[in-house]
Amino acid sequence: MATELIDRAPAGPGGLPGEEAAGVLLAPAAPRSALRRLAGSRSALGAAALLALLVLAALAAPLWADHVAGTTPYANHITDRVEVGGKARDVVSPDGVPIGPTWRGRFFLGADVNGRDIMVRLLYGGRNSLMIGVAAALLTALLAVATALVAGYFRGWVDGVLARGLDVIWAYPVILLGVALGTAFAVGGVRLGPVELAGDSKAIPVLVIAVVYVPYMARPLRGTVLALREREFVAAARAQGAGAVRVMWSEILPNLLPGIVVLLPLMVANAILLEAALSYLGAGVRPPEPSWGTMIDDGVARIVTAEHLAIAPGLMLVLTVAALNVLGDRVRDALDPHAGAGT
Amino acid sequence: MLSFLVRRLAAMVLVLFAISVLTFSIFNVIPNGEPENRMAGRTQTPAQVEAIRREWGFDRGMVVQYATTMRKVFTGDLISYYNGSRVGEEILRGLPRTFSLAVGAALLWMALAVALGLYSAVRSGRLSGWLTGALAVIGISMPVFWVGALMNHYLGFEAGLFPNGGYVPLTEDPLAWAHHLILPWTALSILFIGVYSRVLRSSVMDTMSEDYVRTARAKGLSEGRVLVRHVLRNSLIPIVSLWGLDFGAVLGGGAILTETVFDLQGVGQYAAESIDQLDVPPVLAVTMLGAFFIVVLNTVVDVLYAVLDPRIRIGRL
Amino acid sequence: MKRLCVTLATLLAATAASAGCGGSDGPAGGGPRTGGALTLAQTSNPDFLDPAKGYTVEASAAHWLIYPGLLTYRHEEGAEGSKLIPAAAEDLPEVSRDGRTHTFRLRKGLTYADGTPARAADFERAIQRALTLQWGGLAFFSVIEGVDEYVKRGKPGADIRGITSDDRTGEIVIELTAPDGRLGNILAFPAAGLVPADTPLEDLSRRPPPGLGAYRFGAIEPNRRYELVRNPHFALPGIPKGNADRITVKLMKSSQRQVQDVIRGRLDWILDEPPADLLSEVRTRYGDRYEENTANSTYFQFFNVETAPFDDARVRAAVNYALDKRALVRIFGGLLEPDCNFLPPGMVGYERIDPCPYGDPAQPPDVERARGLIRAAGSEGAPVTVWGTDEERSQRVTEYYTDVLNEIGLRAKPRIVGAETYYAAIGNVETRPQTGFLAWFQDFPHPANFFFLVAGESVQDVDSVNPGRVSDPDVNRRYEALKREPAEQNAAEWAALDRLVIAPEKALVAAYGHTKDTTFVSERMNLEDCTVYHPVYRDDWSQFCLK
Repeated sequence: MATELIDRAPAGPGGLPGEEAAGVLLAPAAPRSALRRLAGSRSALGAAALLALLVLAALAAPLWADHVAGTTPYANHITDRVEVGGKARDVVSPDGVPIGPTWRGRFFLGADVNGRDIMVRLLYGGRNSLMIGVAAALLTALLAVATALVAGYFRGWVDGVLARGLDVIWAYPVILLGVALGTAFAVGGVRLGPVELAGDSKAIPVLVIAVVYVPYMARPLRGTVLALREREFVAAARAQGAGAVRVMWSEILPNLLPGIVVLLPLMVANAILLEAALSYLGAGVRPPEPSWGTMIDDGVARIVTAEHLAIAPGLMLVLTVAALNVLGDRVRDALDPHAGAGT
Repeated sequence: MLSFLVRRLAAMVLVLFAISVLTFSIFNVIPNGEPENRMAGRTQTPAQVEAIRREWGFDRGMVVQYATTMRKVFTGDLISYYNGSRVGEEILRGLPRTFSLAVGAALLWMALAVALGLYSAVRSGRLSGWLTGALAVIGISMPVFWVGALMNHYLGFEAGLFPNGGYVPLTEDPLAWAHHLILPWTALSILFIGVYSRVLRSSVMDTMSEDYVRTARAKGLSEGRVLVRHVLRNSLIPIVSLWGLDFGAVLGGGAILTETVFDLQGVGQYAAESIDQLDVPPVLAVTMLGAFFIVVLNTVVDVLYAVLDPRIRIGRL
Repeated sequence: MKRLCVTLATLLAATAASAGCGGSDGPAGGGPRTGGALTLAQTSNPDFLDPAKGYTVEASAAHWLIYPGLLTYRHEEGAEGSKLIPAAAEDLPEVSRDGRTHTFRLRKGLTYADGTPARAADFERAIQRALTLQWGGLAFFSVIEGVDEYVKRGKPGADIRGITSDDRTGEIVIELTAPDGRLGNILAFPAAGLVPADTPLEDLSRRPPPGLGAYRFGAIEPNRRYELVRNPHFALPGIPKGNADRITVKLMKSSQRQVQDVIRGRLDWILDEPPADLLSEVRTRYGDRYEENTANSTYFQFFNVETAPFDDARVRAAVNYALDKRALVRIFGGLLEPDCNFLPPGMVGYERIDPCPYGDPAQPPDVERARGLIRAAGSEGAPVTVWGTDEERSQRVTEYYTDVLNEIGLRAKPRIVGAETYYAAIGNVETRPQTGFLAWFQDFPHPANFFFLVAGESVQDVDSVNPGRVSDPDVNRRYEALKREPAEQNAAEWAALDRLVIAPEKALVAAYGHTKDTTFVSERMNLEDCTVYHPVYRDDWSQFCLK
């Protein structure tokens, strides 16, 4: 369900409910012309440039931390003083109010209650938010494609079981499921076969977000697989004795790719938003790791005396997600010129 | 049709059952999350913990515990581990709040989304159309709790135009009720306005290129009439169905973030707080309720859809 | 000055006069005024309104006034308020020579708020209820003979061997398993407050039983509000009979709105401190109706003395040298009284340790010295997991503390978990927590209620309140001897134990201070004469009054 987070666009054109509408996923256009169309769109270029800038900034976090701010995202400077306009000021006042933006190298955007440099944490937080968003979206895609292929190809009881599984997650209120899983895993960690994740691992929010969003991607994809399976080229491949794995891998999967590519930017955007929401409810990234979500959460509690704490990470988040959404729209337009009209 | 409904109903029950099992398991595998420890207080003796286990049945098998808890869900005897309050009562207290939020916000977002979507479709290609489109993108890119907190702070706390959070029952004071809800309605609506207006825009634009619309135009009908009689009627179908689903989700506690930011103490906030306290009974009850709303509205929407649009054949769930 | 006024007021109230210490009679002259209705607010619910289940501070502030037991505390500030006086009992108990038998006599002619006459058998019922209903502090009653047996048998209403009573003479005899200086404090818990002997053994939070106190519960809306109204049958001498006629307590989750409502006069008092965000504004703009009092609490980092690197006293001392208490004060938004003592200032036996062996709390710490000690102990680069809860203060402190450990040469990582699992996690021997955040608020004003946190007797494999498994022979010996006696007799010895626990050669904990409670009242409240900050129950509602 859309709840407050998910943009239902991923569920298919027009956001049609259920899978009835899902078979009509994108008719792939020729990739090269699609790319040209994409490059011709000013808003797509703008969004891509903005994203590149954000990624670069995140990558440059250690540079800023070392050479400009002279600190780390974890170092506390509660009792330090900082020179602003020739006057030495407390980083955190005796009342516990942190300093606002100095617009200088040290504490460019001010400090938090622990006397940590907000700019530095913002950059490192961007790393975490982007990484978690991308990783979760990729994992969602992986799980969704696997589920859709198996369910759509084998049909029958396999499909029945998998589809019911998707229904269960689909009907589970998104944030409730996210928070419940996040809270439970944060305490005990997760064990997946040989892989063991500690409770404070960043892989946990990735896993939670990926699981929660699987149905949004798997349901439309399953519909497409069901449709593709009936097509002549699949029948031909099977007639030639190709095994199930082979057919899925080399006949069906390539036809799913454009749809996946369209959904990915939107999935990343939604994953970043969900990470923020989970962090706001205390079930996302574990402290002292910064992420935009945890920083907003911290900031909202101090909005009266230190509004910069909430505004700075929020703006970064909105910029990133908006750029991803625009890019996602344009990619869809480019791959399927009939789907919607964009500039 | 009847067999379709029966099958949907059976699937619904199955899904709800699976969700209850899932929720119950999530909270039962948490290490050090045993309720008896928390119930026994700061200084506890093994004998005391043992007595609590016996009394609450924590010493019995998982299946028995699950069955007992589920029976209590349906008889309304569910009791919070955290403070012994009756879960059913708490939910009943939260529902009018959640309901007020959901109904108001749903009306608001539908009205504004239709206006915005139509406008940007008609103005497509012009600056104003582009601007409304951009507005919609920004709308779907903002975390609701962030916008909510900013609104609460600047419009509520600083400017004093609105109360900064809280709820007044409609029956007590309708004006204060609305006054308290204006910010939450707006905050919750922003995202949906963004989503719906975008969906509407593209479906309006698709419809406008259909033959029957061209015919209508050719017959000399005014642009406004064409838009309302022919385009909007058809373009609204996907939106209305979305609307049903999202309304269900918000009713079922999906508006956790909005409720928490504005301290409305609806069902969603109750669930969030209970998760924080690892208080399984309320979490289980609210989740089931939320899933119920979602599943029911899903079904309703699908049925309506089939009725409205005969092209869609009713298949399996 | 204030103390004197209040004492006087209390005496006068007991003799049914309403003149205050200001001298004049009317409300204009200040002084406690009786009558009127107050509205208070708290952020969290009381856990239970049944005295046999209520354990949190939210519950006990009301229960204290409604359910006096055989003994209760004086309604005074500071050390005076820690003193026990007879309430339902005629006098303090006669104690047998071996210290195990305590004999009380019930006051004659007492009636409960509903008119039921009180009987000696009522006391045992109160204890039975607390045991059967799993009261949070139930373990304290184990000092009474037969209590453990009652819990183990799990048969509600069975006789408790150590309690015998005679309704005819009003005699109540309590047998202890061993002499214990804490008995008086334990009997003063509202959970041991008298209720009629026919009160059912079930949670009566919706319709709490009648008590003997100055107030009784009025209307109750679970999880929303409850009311305290006067008890017409109240007749206990030495206890104020209350100024306000009606006290409504509302649940209000947003502490920001609580503060706003106090400013606007819609609320008269709030239990919780103003949010960090509004604290400085409250202090500067509303200083005339705001007060801070140091609570009987202690904040410290525990060390696991059984695992590296904190099994070495030098490492533990190093941490103490490196902690910057000025930083911690800021994290607490100024609501921290920093010192080196483990005991809080309001406690019997508190003597400020000055000079503090780790340096003046108001000065920068000696990080160099700390580094030297870590080097000397060969613990440089030792991995440390720092435990903390995700509650605001704890999380901030844990993140700061982790940074300090890294600064002095350890390799520390925080492990922040939800409060609901934190205590079970660190209290479990298998977790092997190395160090972490702890805060302790007294159950009763006896130093033993603090030192048991670092005593061998509280080392348990699960649910331990001593997660550091501290069991120091010197400390244990002194603690075991001292806890048998009431605190006042051994103030100097407790102070010596306090110094021993934090001394650099032991450094069993890193104690850094005591939180402050805030009192913030509406304009119409008389802060000057009518707020009594009680060391156990915080602001005494029964003495609140309007101007």
